[in-house]
Amino acid sequence: MKEIKLVFTGSMGAGKTTAISALSEIPVINTDVRATDEAALRKERTTVAMDYGEMTLSDGQKLRLYGTPGQERFSYMWKILMEGALGLIILVDNAGEHPLQDLDLYLTHFRQYIDSTSAVIGVTRMDMAEQPGLDEYYDYLAQKELQLPIFSVDVRDRDNVVMMLEALVAMLEFAY
Amino acid sequence: MLSNLEKVQTTQLLKSLLQNTSEICAAVVTTLDGHLCAKEQRDEYALERLATMGSTLMSLGDTITAELKMGACRNIISENEGGIVAFMHINQDLVLVTLTQQLNALGMLLAHSRRCAAEIAKLLHNT
Repeated sequence: MKEIKLVFTGSMGAGKTTAISALSEIPVINTDVRATDEAALRKERTTVAMDYGEMTLSDGQKLRLYGTPGQERFSYMWKILMEGALGLIILVDNAGEHPLQDLDLYLTHFRQYIDSTSAVIGVTRMDMAEQPGLDEYYDYLAQKELQLPIFSVDVRDRDNVVMMLEALVAMLEFAY
Repeated sequence: MLSNLEKVQTTQLLKSLLQNTSEICAAVVTTLDGHLCAKEQRDEYALERLATMGSTLMSLGDTITAELKMGACRNIISENEGGIVAFMHINQDLVLVTLTQQLNALGMLLAHSRRCAAEIAKLLHNT
């Protein structure tokens, strides 16, 4: 595959922008603005359109990385950004109030893409909140009749995120 | 973001905009992170969604002009089969979105919208 478009989505504050920044070989294009609502209590800035970065895997595979806004009011951007995407990374903030409900929102919105492309789930900030554990996430996916790889990931650690992406790309290469 | 008094005063300015310019169909003030603050319209538009999309577009405009080192993005114009939509900064946190169904009213739309944006900025600066 010449180039692969991957999309990072997931709950606000889960680390989509941070993950793309950690991975990208080019200056990341982002559309962060000052948060004016309750979100400002958790983070100062929030993405309202998209993030964009690029990286090359060790085997030379070029990846184009897009990040979506997290809040549901920007869901029109989710559809736009998924156009032509081959893989989806759902990041869930385990220290959020309702991580499994958050996951459900993205599974529901992106179900059509998940069924037709490949996806992985990255659970972030497990160091700050141990529960729910990965087993609970797997059980939750089973209820939804989904089998997706789930990683506990520190999005600030490039190697950590690369490992997750390599798993996703391997799934894509197997599928195509 | 805005106090109740500021919302009322801002809505009043939008009302004046629509009263003084019959070609403008709707006007919305939104935060740059997509929350509707004030609105006024003649027809029934989905203004909540317009507010959120306005923040997305304005932010993209800011990102594009920064990338091209062209200074601040003043406004974004969407010219369509059924009318024109203009997006412009009021200040660093707020965006004004206005629309007209008149295809030949771009100059009028921009001129009156800019004046309204300046009035809102002045109002919020003074309160």
